[in-house]
Amino acid sequence: MGDEYPTLFRSDQMSLVQLIVPTEVAHDTIAELGELGNVQFKDLNPDVNPFQRSFVGEIRRIDEMARRVRFFASQIEKEKDAIPIRPLYDSAPIITVGPRAAQTIDELDVKLAEHESRLTQMNESYQLLSERMKELVEARHVLRETAVFFDKAAGHQSDIRASLDDSSAPLLQHDDRENQFGSGQVEFDLEFVAGTIERSRLETFERVLWRVLRGNLYMNHTDIQEPFVDPVTGAETRKNVFIIFAHGETLLAKIRKVAESMGATLYPIDSNADKRSDALREVTGRLEDLQVVLYNTGNNRRMELVTIGESLASWLDVVQKEKVIYETLNLLNYDVRRKTLIAEGWCPTRDIPMIQVALRHATEESGTNVPPILHELRTNKTPPTFQRTNKFTEGFQTIMDSYGIASYQEVNPGLFAVITFPFLFAVMFGDIGHGFIIFTAALFMIMRERQWAKQDLGEIFGMFFYGRYIILLMGAFSMYTGLIYNDIFSKSLHLFHSGWEWPEARANETIVAQANGHTYAFGLDPAWHGADNSLLFTNSYKMKMSIVLGVIHMTFALCLQIPNHLRFKRVSDIYTNFIPQMLFLQSIFGYLVLCILYKWSVDWEKSPTGPPSLLNMLIQMFLSPGNVDPDTQLYRGQPTIQVILLLIAFICVPWLLITKPYLQYKEMKKIQGQGYIGLGGDESVHPNGDEVLEGEEEGNGRAIAEAMDEEHEHHDFGEVVIHQVIHTIEFCLGCISHTASYLRLWALSLAHAQLSEVLWSMTLEPVIGMPGIIGIVALAVVGVLWFTLTVFILCVMEGLSAFLHALRLHWVEANSKHYEAGGYQFTPLSFAKLNEKE
Amino acid sequence: MEALLYNVDAGFLEGILRGYKAGLLTQGQYANLTQCETIEDFRTQLSATDYGNFLANETLPISTSTIADKATQILVDQFNYIRNNAVEPLAKFLDYITYGYMIDNVILLVTGTVHERNTQELLERCHPLGVFDTLPALCVASNVEELYHTVLVETPIAPYFRDCLSASDLDDLNIEIIRNTLYKAYLEDFTAFCQKIGGPTAEIMTRILAFEADRRSINITINSFGTELSKEQRAKLFPTIGRLFPDGNNSLARADDIEQVKLACDYIPEYRAFFDSSNNATSGRGANTGGGNSSTAHLLGDLDDDSGSAAELEDRFFLYEVHLNKQAFLQQFHYAIFYSYLKLKEQEIRSLTWIAECIAQDARDRIQDFIPTF
Repeated sequence: MGDEYPTLFRSDQMSLVQLIVPTEVAHDTIAELGELGNVQFKDLNPDVNPFQRSFVGEIRRIDEMARRVRFFASQIEKEKDAIPIRPLYDSAPIITVGPRAAQTIDELDVKLAEHESRLTQMNESYQLLSERMKELVEARHVLRETAVFFDKAAGHQSDIRASLDDSSAPLLQHDDRENQFGSGQVEFDLEFVAGTIERSRLETFERVLWRVLRGNLYMNHTDIQEPFVDPVTGAETRKNVFIIFAHGETLLAKIRKVAESMGATLYPIDSNADKRSDALREVTGRLEDLQVVLYNTGNNRRMELVTIGESLASWLDVVQKEKVIYETLNLLNYDVRRKTLIAEGWCPTRDIPMIQVALRHATEESGTNVPPILHELRTNKTPPTFQRTNKFTEGFQTIMDSYGIASYQEVNPGLFAVITFPFLFAVMFGDIGHGFIIFTAALFMIMRERQWAKQDLGEIFGMFFYGRYIILLMGAFSMYTGLIYNDIFSKSLHLFHSGWEWPEARANETIVAQANGHTYAFGLDPAWHGADNSLLFTNSYKMKMSIVLGVIHMTFALCLQIPNHLRFKRVSDIYTNFIPQMLFLQSIFGYLVLCILYKWSVDWEKSPTGPPSLLNMLIQMFLSPGNVDPDTQLYRGQPTIQVILLLIAFICVPWLLITKPYLQYKEMKKIQGQGYIGLGGDESVHPNGDEVLEGEEEGNGRAIAEAMDEEHEHHDFGEVVIHQVIHTIEFCLGCISHTASYLRLWALSLAHAQLSEVLWSMTLEPVIGMPGIIGIVALAVVGVLWFTLTVFILCVMEGLSAFLHALRLHWVEANSKHYEAGGYQFTPLSFAKLNEKE
Repeated sequence: MEALLYNVDAGFLEGILRGYKAGLLTQGQYANLTQCETIEDFRTQLSATDYGNFLANETLPISTSTIADKATQILVDQFNYIRNNAVEPLAKFLDYITYGYMIDNVILLVTGTVHERNTQELLERCHPLGVFDTLPALCVASNVEELYHTVLVETPIAPYFRDCLSASDLDDLNIEIIRNTLYKAYLEDFTAFCQKIGGPTAEIMTRILAFEADRRSINITINSFGTELSKEQRAKLFPTIGRLFPDGNNSLARADDIEQVKLACDYIPEYRAFFDSSNNATSGRGANTGGGNSSTAHLLGDLDDDSGSAAELEDRFFLYEVHLNKQAFLQQFHYAIFYSYLKLKEQEIRSLTWIAECIAQDARDRIQDFIPTF
């Protein structure tokens, strides 16, 4: 069966395989299988702590390498001028398999360590130099600013003296000025402290100083315009130059202490102007020297980063792969005696030959002659579900997977969703114009898919891109249903000869169209457009159509039970579950659908009886069975048929409720009658007892993980009864509510049509007939407005809402009829997936 | 009433906090941690918990202090997130929590300055939750009044300082007195504030703070044996809240040895348990009072006389504190969980550090001596 052509109808046949891998090829084998990407390894030592496993040492080493790579990446990122990182497909691959693998990794490790130490060294010296440079720059600022201040003070001496006489001057200010004045007189003999401090701390600094010195100080400060950039973190700090005058050694010492503890840097400044300018010259000179050195260091560092950037991508790739390989190796069971690793895992049965080839390849690559041995194990565990998708079906499958992963080998609704999903969407979204817009958008995304698949498109757009094929089909189907509804941007097309003719209209008179014997070939006759009763007609038409579609969809979903029952050998389920359910559904709603179709086919103008209201008919069928008003009778013998149908439906309920539990009960009695007693979980071991022996002979317990996580479902009779009761109630009530639920097709399609009509009449319609240049301008402006609103409200918003409703119809209305969704996803070890996550 | 309006302002933060609380290490995780052979194992094991990769970018070898620092940083980040999103009165409540750390930092800096340590070094050792702008300027002060007038006057803990202004010189004894006076005032003020909030907050916080106050009283008493601290001075340091107040405090003030302390606490059943076997264990534990105990004592910030019984007592105090804090989570619509979470997380960091320390120093036999939270 493994040779079956893979379809989406059922998930792939899976096999539990055991790999016996000699230790020397273990790494290469896993690497090869990772490239292949279709084996899901099982954890064979779940009760071993993560740090007690066999390959923790290697993982740690890889972690350390990964840390270094991350360090490089962050360094490169921080660099202001972007440093090119050569993309992976451009770089020479680092081969980590084969006989030289260990050596390559060692070399890489050494190389990374070297680069790291070189880079840290460079960073350090760069930082040191920048630090020194910063100090010099600060010193220069301090010198300059204080010079300005001193000069100003010298120039203002006379003013200060004059202000002494000003008795209204505040006391403190007075003090300050006195200080200044005194200092002016003795050629700035007054002691002072100068330095720089972070701007954010300046205020606190001032406050503390004020309190410490009780106001006995004169402080002046100015901003330094350009920010200082920390070479390591790249953070900007802004600083201020301050100069504080105070009197006395103690006070100065206090100022210095406070300043230092607040993180300020102090610079020795001489009060003598000549000495100051000397110092300034010297600082500037040293600054220039330092700048050259710094530039060179920076250049060297950049060169180093460029070298690193060239191979960073491949290093990252190698490190990631190695980590995954060793993590997988940790899942394997290590047989110390025989120096082999035993792996167990799931793989698709039809891929086993490919895996065999990969194993052989790995052996050849590594240059040993001991090949890994693969053999299939028989198991009674449920394998994972693996649906082979391609880029077209992937989106549809994801929609179904997000409801639940199909049980193993169950009929997969994802296959049918490829058509039913866009179709139900289109029933709600039917409009040729809007359909065309989203169709072209999807087509554009598909044309661009090669480029865009590689880029990160952002969350929202990425989602649209992921569903591009769904959108494509949705657009195509919308155009089709739009053609049936004869709707293009709320206008109608006149493709064929209309079946109705309007007589000459006179003012203020309702006119009635005359049938002319033609029949409009496809879709809705455009004559309905603009007719007074058009809404009445389309409502009735769409409502009935949604019921018809809904019942067909549910019937189809119900039929999907059959392949499941056949595949899982539950033939009895066909007549205990499927047949009564089908009869129940068809005798009520199938009958309704037939009535709808029949009613459409009758020409009520010529009929002797009036047209019946089908809704009332259905209600009357339940409330007063056997009575039908002869005036609105649909066909002869209607009461009898309805009574029979009703009886069938009523019989189905106990049938559904009782037969299955009864059969199970009989089965149980039979087994007990033969003298068997259930052994619970133990019986699962027996069928493959000989393999156990075989395995033991070989010296390794087979299927190591077997006993641990097998959930043996013990079917309790009570459970079956309860389950069946719930199932019956759910189905019978569900039939009614689900049929009603399909009316959303009508509601949304109506809402969509009305909304697009309103948009048309509110924007374009008044403008379209306007004469002259104003008309053209208005048409252009309003046209753009109309188009934008069409795209955003009608296509995107309405589209999303229709999408959600189509989703619900599939998840709730259809899936509840057959889908068990009790499986778990197949998650193979795959390097390709690793890169996707990036 | 609080059930009606609590969630308007604090619902989101409570949700966040309960999420944080769910990330506290469990017994199983502690058991795994204690089995680690090396610090690297420790790191691997921690990366499977809520701590995640917080040590991933550290170069090997990792020191235990790095672990403690990084873990504290996580705590501080969490606290700051909550503090920044809080509105009154929760914001004020959270501020009150930080005052305790401010007091610790002030004392740490003053002690350091008296012993002429490097200011930068001292600043690094300060708890990040208790850092305030003018903290570095503390090192200028040479006496209490200066301390108050230059720096503390503009901090929130200034009012607590009023009672300390009498002490003049800064020596070790005085600093201890200042610390305990500050704490006394702080605890009383915090309790008063919680009472003002009312409801379950008041109820739970009073319980927790009462224990905190009693613990301080007992510690002060035990630590003052054999020092120059007079009994009157000692009595003044006892907080006027707590379950020992006033009877127990009065007997504590008169106590001369540990037996009398025990008697003083005897009428409170929970406290009686602290002393029950501590004396029996004294001989056994006294011998191995290693670096661990002094570090615990240091973390507590108390002047510990380093005897075995005190260390044992300390552990029991912590255990009871954890118990009280865990109880806070049993109720809803109150602010005490914010306090409790902080304390539990701190305890967790202490335990982590202890385990890491034991691994680093290869003291496997003592690795189980940590205090688990949940």
